[in-house]
Amino acid sequence: MSNNKPMPVPTEISAPFWEGLKAERLLIQQCNQCSHWVFYPRRHCPQCLAHELTWREVNGEATLYSFTVTRIATLPDFADEMPQMLAVIELAQGVRINSNLVGLDESEVKIGMRLQPVFAEVDAKGTRLLRFTGLDKDPQALKTLPAAVEQPAVAAPSVRRIALDDEAALQALVSDTFSPWSNQIVVDQGLIDAFALLSGDDYWIHTDPERARKQSPFGGTIAHGALVQILQSRMQLKLDYEITGFSNMVNYGSDRLRFPAPVPAGSIIHSRARVKRVERVKSGTQMTLELNTHVLGSERPSVINELVILYM
Amino acid sequence: MGLKGHAAIVGSAQYKPEKYATAPRMFHLEQVADLAAQALRDAGLQASDLDGLVINGPQFHEASVFVPAMAAEYLGLRLNFAEVVDLGGCTSVGMVWRAAAAIELGLCQAVLCVLPARMAPMGPDEDPSWMARAMRFGGHSTAFGAPEAEFDLPYGHMGQNTGYAMIAQRYAAQYGYDPRALAKIAVDQRTNAQYNPRAMFYGQPLTIEQVLASKKVADPLHVLEIVMPVAGGAALIIASKEVAARARKRPSYITGFGEHLAFKSPSYAADMVQTPIGPASRRAFDMAGLKPADVDAAQIYDCYTITALLTLEDAGFCAKGEGMSFVREHDLTWRGDFPMNTHGGQLSFGQAGSAGGMSQVIEAVTQIAGEAGERQLAQCDTVYVSGTGGVMSEQGALILQGA
Repeated sequence: MSNNKPMPVPTEISAPFWEGLKAERLLIQQCNQCSHWVFYPRRHCPQCLAHELTWREVNGEATLYSFTVTRIATLPDFADEMPQMLAVIELAQGVRINSNLVGLDESEVKIGMRLQPVFAEVDAKGTRLLRFTGLDKDPQALKTLPAAVEQPAVAAPSVRRIALDDEAALQALVSDTFSPWSNQIVVDQGLIDAFALLSGDDYWIHTDPERARKQSPFGGTIAHGALVQILQSRMQLKLDYEITGFSNMVNYGSDRLRFPAPVPAGSIIHSRARVKRVERVKSGTQMTLELNTHVLGSERPSVINELVILYM
Repeated sequence: MGLKGHAAIVGSAQYKPEKYATAPRMFHLEQVADLAAQALRDAGLQASDLDGLVINGPQFHEASVFVPAMAAEYLGLRLNFAEVVDLGGCTSVGMVWRAAAAIELGLCQAVLCVLPARMAPMGPDEDPSWMARAMRFGGHSTAFGAPEAEFDLPYGHMGQNTGYAMIAQRYAAQYGYDPRALAKIAVDQRTNAQYNPRAMFYGQPLTIEQVLASKKVADPLHVLEIVMPVAGGAALIIASKEVAARARKRPSYITGFGEHLAFKSPSYAADMVQTPIGPASRRAFDMAGLKPADVDAAQIYDCYTITALLTLEDAGFCAKGEGMSFVREHDLTWRGDFPMNTHGGQLSFGQAGSAGGMSQVIEAVTQIAGEAGERQLAQCDTVYVSGTGGVMSEQGALILQGA
């Protein structure tokens, strides 16, 4: 998981709310003078401007006022939550809260549906965010996010053997559909630093977390494109074929190499491939494999590599 | 109450929208001077005629405070009225009525309203962290104590897309949703852009199918229903009736305006789908003594298709919930029965920061002056213009009329 997500910084005014969440209690304010319920925390009632607000515990009974499902992460750091379910929640007291829905399938989400709070733990310091889920879900089970690197069961596709001289079978490999995802790996700062040392590219945007947090448009360090490209070697592609009947196979380079999206330090990446083209050339048979590496959950690839493999 | 219609827009200037990467970089002071000179030429007036200035405070490159004084000094202006407007995409509309009000109060006779929106050159030791933050969080403040920093950002609520998407979803739950009608707004405006060589998408017509096949960003919004940010900048000259009489072209008198805002996040609106443009437009029409049916064209702020749809309803061009059938039943192009965003709208013209909204004002003025070339309306005396800032959080309306 990316460690650059924005986190709440409680103020003297708001601290009881965040402390309440840590204790798995939902506290909101009510005006002593006009009984108006108030969210977010303030010193004044936005209805009558009176100063006397009292913190009260509420049971979190709520309905869904509106929501959207994001297809592009609102920040690269949220890639692990894709698709994000951003929601406006209306508590029974009438106040609205910007939040997230968790534990719900897209098809289950309906404006007006009833919801209950989830006191979601989001960092090692015990910070909790106020998220919501359906009444038929178990909020206890949703309190902690599933461990990020949960390797999907390796269902190895059945592999077909294709002889290099079988032209029709080779051409039939060409497809718009990508293979299943490879195994996942974590691109952490240690790996990025090691690559900086090896390559000599120690630009601050990769290697200086403090400066990157303040000055980089990505809010933290990002991996070198070249690093993410070569990490391909650590990811086993789930291809459903194997070429046989050649004497030599070489990596001939790339027809196209692009780095369309950043990989923030701490991201999990995985990759997939498809056969884009198979051609007979003078020296043998050339296969172009489009190999895309993505941050987990992100639709946009971080590396597009049209790799050319020459079979002789 | 309100304006008497004694002030008019007499000149304008607008940089052709360009991609940020290839647009020239200029200091904002330099852009202000350049746009002022162009707008004065367009009006047929002299720099010495100017005695008022309305300028952007936020995002002004060379200063964050004392911006009007710095600009007056740089341009050599002597001002009797200076103002900064901070209303996001509603800034242009807000500038126009403030200038008109100052003129009618007798404070000044000719006001420059200007919004530089090309990037400035980066200094050798400049700390780019403000730009990094702006790119990362859009219009969301990250300051300690800012409610949105504390209660929106940790949940991933940021930028504009998801707020507009949630408004559209709420609208859909209440009134139904026809994605083709929403797409038609973008398509009709793209048709208009084919008659505007200065538009970003000139020469690139668009179909409803292409809009619906474009990538979804946040349900239900497709990428082709969202404006493209571009480099640009624009200026207007607002003048008294006396000065307007010696201007080069037909003036556009400001006969009505309205402005309304009550929240920044639409989550806190009393009703998310009753937008602030409602009260703002009612005031504008009442002030001008007109009804929505009286206008010859509508230049409606269109950061998203849903913004335009809700403005059609809430400004009173059709009833609440009937926006989609209105769009289906009317031809919104310059040749049609309801000419709207005849320059292409920002969706097809490009959105140059807060100057994007000035493109709508400038198109109204261009049509009223009869200078719209190929896309000129046969008759154009009265135009409605709207402005929208934030996530439909700050909105304003203008009624402009040719004499």
